[in-house]
Amino acid sequence: MHDNRYYKILVGLAAAGLIIGTWGVVNVLLFGKRATALGSYVPWGLWVAVYLFFLGLTAGAFLITILTYVFRVRIFAPIGPLSAFTVLVAITCEVIIISFDLGHFSRVWRFLINPGWTSMIFWMVVFTNAMIIIYALECYFLLRESLVQGAQAEGTPARWLYRLLSFGKTDFTEADRQADHRRVRLLSIISLPVGLIFYGINGAIFAILLNRPIWNGALTPLLFIVTALLSGGALITFLTYIFKVDDALVHYLGHVIRFLLVVFLFLEALQFFVGYRTGMPINRASLDIIAFGPYWWVFWVFHILLGSALPLYLLSFRHESAQAVAAACFLIIITFIAVRLNFVIPDQAVYKLEGLEATFYHWRLRTDQYFPNLNEWLVSLWVFSLGLLAFMLGSKYLPIVSAGKGEAEHVEA
Amino acid sequence: MTRVLPLEDALIRMQRDLKRALAKDPREIRWGMVIDLARCIGCHACTLGCVAENKLPPGVVYRVVLEEEVGHYPMVRRRFVPRPCVHCQNPPCTKVCPVNATYKDEQGVVRVNYYRCIGCRYCLVACPYAARTSDFGERYTNDTPEMPGKLFGRRAAFAGYELRPAAEYGRRWPDRNGGSPFGNARKCHFCLHRLKVGMLPACVTSCIGRATIFGDRTDPDSLLFEALGSPRLFRLKEELGTQPAVYYLK
Repeated sequence: MHDNRYYKILVGLAAAGLIIGTWGVVNVLLFGKRATALGSYVPWGLWVAVYLFFLGLTAGAFLITILTYVFRVRIFAPIGPLSAFTVLVAITCEVIIISFDLGHFSRVWRFLINPGWTSMIFWMVVFTNAMIIIYALECYFLLRESLVQGAQAEGTPARWLYRLLSFGKTDFTEADRQADHRRVRLLSIISLPVGLIFYGINGAIFAILLNRPIWNGALTPLLFIVTALLSGGALITFLTYIFKVDDALVHYLGHVIRFLLVVFLFLEALQFFVGYRTGMPINRASLDIIAFGPYWWVFWVFHILLGSALPLYLLSFRHESAQAVAAACFLIIITFIAVRLNFVIPDQAVYKLEGLEATFYHWRLRTDQYFPNLNEWLVSLWVFSLGLLAFMLGSKYLPIVSAGKGEAEHVEA
Repeated sequence: MTRVLPLEDALIRMQRDLKRALAKDPREIRWGMVIDLARCIGCHACTLGCVAENKLPPGVVYRVVLEEEVGHYPMVRRRFVPRPCVHCQNPPCTKVCPVNATYKDEQGVVRVNYYRCIGCRYCLVACPYAARTSDFGERYTNDTPEMPGKLFGRRAAFAGYELRPAAEYGRRWPDRNGGSPFGNARKCHFCLHRLKVGMLPACVTSCIGRATIFGDRTDPDSLLFEALGSPRLFRLKEELGTQPAVYYLK
């Protein structure tokens, strides 16, 4: 991809996003949470939704590496390095955006000395770090052979980087290759329970909360796992097409994405069905906000029409075309922020006690007045741009696509 | 011979109850509150008393008074429900704190360690009573213009109210160096700093209807203990199993 003009356009967009977004970042650093539109009744807003969005994107690598190295599905092997690198970028963005959301980021060291063992957020931090370590190592071992070879070859772009990451290693033997693939397989096996717990815990953060009708329930962690696999899988499929790895692979991934999309829509329909059939006003109020509230178009237009119906049509009736599959995946990815916003905000937008809406007026004590302000959008833009820039530079200067060639043989071995 | 006079003000009795409680082993005290809805007239004095006592900034409130309409026309009336932190004895907020910044102390009061709170606001989301607010760093004087030579410019207004330290948890806030309580979760703490020096909570002393009864739940001679025996007693959202230490009388 770095050979064509799209590379320059995307790097330019990322640089522009970073520059524009800096205004929001500076405001938040100077004025803290006062620079946001958050309140005490809607304390989690756009940044938490963006956090969940990135969380989903990380699941792409999880899906691919598990299929490839645990279940030995050879066809996905060429995109192993690409997906492992993608997860590293996405998880970094995830950590950055949620750090902005903290009132006192300077106190994160408290996680180490005052761990709240019963808190899902504490375990989220533990498993986020575990995922970072696993995928950093996995990515490294998948790329190491190409790094060592690139460090020795004349004309390698950013050869110093290859030398640096080779840690002085100059030759790569068959024994090294076998050892690295054993390590990758071991890491993938470890990542299976760790990843499932990681995505499940992120769902449990919401699921365990009393009187949060949309969040509270055993379905939420499962929904998180499925949504993560769907959005992350869609991202990997789209990148596989963009980097022209293998059109047949795009075709196969399209089937996986279609299956995940159907499962996700089924679970979402269940959530609506159960919520409405309980007949409890608090449940109906939250669901009404999603489907018929002031931002109904986010649900119906972005999520249902553009993010579900259209991709489902493309994946079902145009699945022979890699371009159509990639387009469907692209739609799923960009509309997924709507899914996350509709998960995070409506449940908080319902007053939990009758009469709260009419007492002690302050705009930070109202649920219906939250809409992300400019600073929140700019910080999100900044993080997206940072991720895009890191990904584009990585795709140019690291062998994340070329290292996947021939990978299938090792899986078989 | 009883020392309770027939027309003794409830505040006098509660003050005496408080003195007796403070003489006990602190580990044996269990603070509690009963709010008599039949006595509450919805004047919001408790809300303002609390704001003034704790120097709360805009958007931060510990005790609001909810208004409800009860019955059907023409048999309709208005009911006022003051809602402080209800100090659950099985609190959902403490279990979700990732750094143990919020906890229930030995006297049953749910507290926040301002130095430890990282401002993730998980406890705000977890509280079923919406009793917690986040301090976003708002100031009443944010948009007040500075008028040199005038008496009430921004600085004068700032010094008049916002520079005065709150005494929450027995410390002087705000801490200008560490930032707290800006960015923290904040909530009612039963005015522990006042209790420590033998004073009743601000919401109790400011209640003109004497609707708020405060004391040690384990003291059988206290006014609170008497109120806890009332058949009118109930708690908010009891079905959640949070076991609030704040009770209501219908």
